[in-house]
Amino acid sequence: MKSLRPALAVRCACIALLLGLFVGGPAEAQRVRIDRLADFSFGLLTTTTSDIRQSGNVCISTTGLGGYNVRASGSGSGGLFTLAGVGAPLAYEVQWNGTVGQQSGTALIPGQTLSGLTTAALGLNLNCLLSNTASLIIVLRAAELSKATAGAYSGTLTLVIAPE
Amino acid sequence: MLPMINTTTSNVLRTTMGRFALLVTASMLASAPAHASTQGTLGATSQGSVQISVSVPSRVQISNLTDVDLTNSELGSVASRPQSPCVWTNTATKSYTITASGSGTGNAFTLAAGQLAPISYAVQWAGTTGQTTGTALTPAAASSSFVSTALLPGCTVAGSSASLIVTVAPGQLETMASATPYTGTLTLLVNPI
Repeated sequence: MKSLRPALAVRCACIALLLGLFVGGPAEAQRVRIDRLADFSFGLLTTTTSDIRQSGNVCISTTGLGGYNVRASGSGSGGLFTLAGVGAPLAYEVQWNGTVGQQSGTALIPGQTLSGLTTAALGLNLNCLLSNTASLIIVLRAAELSKATAGAYSGTLTLVIAPE
Repeated sequence: MLPMINTTTSNVLRTTMGRFALLVTASMLASAPAHASTQGTLGATSQGSVQISVSVPSRVQISNLTDVDLTNSELGSVASRPQSPCVWTNTATKSYTITASGSGTGNAFTLAAGQLAPISYAVQWAGTTGQTTGTALTPAAASSSFVSTALLPGCTVAGSSASLIVTVAPGQLETMASATPYTGTLTLLVNPI
């Protein structure tokens, strides 16, 4: 039987490696990663009578076919999206968009999973070297700001990503 | 990166550099946020977090002011028209001062009627609603502090939170020309504390 030429063998090995990176073995559980998260610092507001929002790009990568879900919880009581400060807790909204550079998205509910999302960061982009994939948006509503006691507020938002 | 200390340096230099290193470290710690974002790791699930911070500025609002009409006031008694405006502030203490300025010369509380001699009036302020007397205000001078009971801008819950009392003394009424309108503007400036 004629053996494969060395160049062809190397090519097959590379293809197999790439397939492995993109798809993974059949018995291997899918893995995900959230990266490129950055803090949201609104600073001293200049107005309390209009909505204020900030958006940040993040990278969701997966060893699977790209499907994932996201669940968020705040540092408020019971995981609420609230910031602690000098006065009553200051409520904020969290939105998620499956594409980068967005200023609005689907509103997240504390502790509840938003499903049906897809990322393009597969295989070779596991370390998010190539691009970000989603937008995380924080919204401070005027209705909350206008009744908030003056002073500094802060809190932590935790995001959990799972493959689908 | 902290400065490295050469092991051959003297104890004096080493101590100085050690203090410098401590200062640098303390400065870095002081300027760093209480928390910083954390990135997820590759796994069956991946968790990350971000810190959110904001500073809400001090705000104050005076509203529900109405014009004061002292038409046909009776001579021999004080003409007075109290009203209940709203002062709301978002400061932690809810405290504020109020500065009143009239439209007379030097912000005087006076009413004018063309070439006739102006008449003076008095302005009082109370930190609660429904009052007929209060603290006398001096033109263009900040008052002592008051505390607002308003929970929301515009007093949308309680309707009002203070009292403004404008009075004209009998002596001034007697100097007024009959059937002649005297008018002026009173400006109120509220500052949160």
